[in-house]
Amino acid sequence: MKNSIKSTLVLICVCAFITAALAVTNSITAPIIAKNEEAAANDALLQVLPDGKNFEKLDITTYSLPATVTEAYKAESGGYVLKLETSGYAAGLVIMCGVDAEGKVAGTVILSSGETPSIGGVAADTLAGALVGKDAAGIDGVDTISGATKTTGAYRAAVKDALNAAIILGGGDVDIRTEEEILNDNLSASLPAADGKFTKLFITEVITGIDAIYKADNGKGAVCVVGEQFIALDENYNVITEVDAELASTVKEQAEKALTSTAEDIDLGKYTGLPSALLSAKLTASGNYVLEMRASGYGINGNHYIASGEYIKIRVSMTADGKIIDCLTISQAESKGYGDACADEKFYGQFDGKTQENYGTIDAINGATLTTNGYKTAILRAFESVIILKGGAE
Amino acid sequence: MKNDNLSVFTKGIIKENPVFVLVLGTCPTIATTTNLIGAFGMGISALLVLLCSNILISLLRKIIPDNVRIPCYIVIIAGFVTIVQMIVHAYFPELYEMLGVYLALITVNCIILGRAEMFASKNSVGKSALDGLGMGLGFTLALCAMAFIREVFGAASFAGVPIAFLENYKIEFLVKAPGGMLVYGLLIALVCVITHGKAPRKKQFSCEGCPSAEHCHSGICANTENKKEDK
Amino acid sequence: METFKTLIVILLSSVFVNNYVLARFLGICPFLGVSKKIDQATGMGVSVTVVMLLATAVTWPIQHFLLDPFGLGYMQTLVFILVIASLVQMVEILLKRFSPALHKGLGVYLPLITTNCAVLGVSINNITDGYNFVESVVSSLGCGLGFLLAMVLFSGIRSRIDESKVPVPFRGLAVTLIAASFISLSFMGFAGIVDALFA
Repeated sequence: MKNSIKSTLVLICVCAFITAALAVTNSITAPIIAKNEEAAANDALLQVLPDGKNFEKLDITTYSLPATVTEAYKAESGGYVLKLETSGYAAGLVIMCGVDAEGKVAGTVILSSGETPSIGGVAADTLAGALVGKDAAGIDGVDTISGATKTTGAYRAAVKDALNAAIILGGGDVDIRTEEEILNDNLSASLPAADGKFTKLFITEVITGIDAIYKADNGKGAVCVVGEQFIALDENYNVITEVDAELASTVKEQAEKALTSTAEDIDLGKYTGLPSALLSAKLTASGNYVLEMRASGYGINGNHYIASGEYIKIRVSMTADGKIIDCLTISQAESKGYGDACADEKFYGQFDGKTQENYGTIDAINGATLTTNGYKTAILRAFESVIILKGGAE
Repeated sequence: MKNDNLSVFTKGIIKENPVFVLVLGTCPTIATTTNLIGAFGMGISALLVLLCSNILISLLRKIIPDNVRIPCYIVIIAGFVTIVQMIVHAYFPELYEMLGVYLALITVNCIILGRAEMFASKNSVGKSALDGLGMGLGFTLALCAMAFIREVFGAASFAGVPIAFLENYKIEFLVKAPGGMLVYGLLIALVCVITHGKAPRKKQFSCEGCPSAEHCHSGICANTENKKEDK
Repeated sequence: METFKTLIVILLSSVFVNNYVLARFLGICPFLGVSKKIDQATGMGVSVTVVMLLATAVTWPIQHFLLDPFGLGYMQTLVFILVIASLVQMVEILLKRFSPALHKGLGVYLPLITTNCAVLGVSINNITDGYNFVESVVSSLGCGLGFLLAMVLFSGIRSRIDESKVPVPFRGLAVTLIAASFISLSFMGFAGIVDALFA
């Protein structure tokens, strides 16, 4: 018993002594280690901003910087270094970007990228060199690296964010909103009652003089886009934005037509010869057709093994004489960064106003020929469907 | 007496070289000998730990009760390893990066626990210090010899300085994992030839030098011995 | 799904690509010492795997909930080796008490594991690699299985060496190391395979 107490005591003493020795050593070496690490981090900063001196880390939460910025350093000698991480489309690119005192790119370095080393990786190195000395306007002029459109785009966007961030950190003001945010801000400004939540109306009537209509999600009216103007309507379709009387009456009349459009389901079983791509159809009171189509994307037309076998679903509205009023991609599971651009309004918006004669002239999706072709075929089937539906039930 | 001390010091360097003769601490021997700087750093770090732990354990040899001696040794050694680790991290950050986890693994290097158990716990402070110094130097020299061969012929450089005329004749295999084992094996054979097999073989030393010797006697070693006798 | 893939990649790469014995040189002493017979090799390999799993399961929480919050990161080596040593002792006592048969089989290998640098190596590497708890456990399982695989493969080769005529200076460890070098060489063929499988 006495022995084991002694043993335990000795062990505890040894442990205590060693722990104390460690604590003392740590208190001596810890500041040196921290200083070394700071110096190493400083070297990385100097790589992208070679003229910088005395870097100071900034608290980015106190500024409203682009969301991609994860770290920011200010050089006493002028200029900033920003660490950025892209998200969403082309996520996973992490770069450091130095911005000199004149707001031009001083240097960039890639910390990590999810790129194929042979294509995107090379692009990154080439781009890093090409971007040096450019300002925001100059960045767009940098050539896209062939085969690496996505990387080029992401890199350019990130560097632009860095330049914008540098302006903001310098006390300047810059619009860092995305296109969607700008649109939503404009809509909210013209119709505050909507609480900032809008949905684009799928138009099923032929309307003139209005480019697009956004309905308030809470039902408190809608906003019509006419050129650069945002014109708000209340629940009873009265124009509440101040515009001249003539425009107000056109907008009221056209918007009311679009917003009050009703449609009835067509029983497809009563028709023969309808294409299998037609999923459902409706006929509006005014005699327009609203069709839901399925399109074979990359997974069905192309490679089953690397893309999903899901169809792209499209909604298209058309007049009885075969002119597209509106077109919308409802769902898709195309390859990320390629075919998924078919869900972009910039793509499907091209079909508005097209007929069977000229629908083929739309621009294909870059790098997704199969998806584009599948989509076009589905639109052709829609034209054919309308001709059959118009012919009447058997 | 003087002579005796000298032999305590020198035996670790040649006659009982921990790496080539006792074959202890094989892991860092292969892992950290891809270049001379790393090998030298590793050797000196181990030497410091060995020296300090030998001294402290020898000082405490009459205080530490037998039944808790292994835990005590482990704590002391791990403590010194951490101290060395912190010093290297603070003053030689590049070396710290290079050695990585192997620095921490000096803790379980058989040489150190082996010397503590075999020598420091039975001998005076002075002798233990000399023994630690000798063994540490032997370890360092062995590591450097291996690193010299691997770096010069495998990477065509000497302590990081490129050797131009060897540039086109690199045997890159040597700096990879299997190359380390091969060079080690060949060097052991070479030492055996030089000493005409007079150096004590691993067999005679392994159990005495091994910290697990006491468990071992009733275990694996004994079993194999018995089986041999059965035959 | 993504997590599952990560776990598989960790497991396979720690068994084959970053095999602790053959590519990272941890645990060489038992690899050379206890691989003379296949049953010994298996016993040692299984014991190491079990202790590695237990050690990781204990050291990971210690690091993240005890050492890091109190700024005691520098105590890592000391605490980990003590944990491993006491763990080994505990496993031995428990085995002796509850499963004497198993103890007879594995017991003799347990004391050797305390000073097996692969166990401490795995515990520390899991922390430095920034793995979460599940990933750490999977990684240590992979390392243990990799160790077992290397031991079993090597014991087969050693039994052949023992029966062949070896030049005198190479007898014993020299030829063993050279043979180990060739196994390690064959394992280099796995490099890149795991990444390619899931690319």
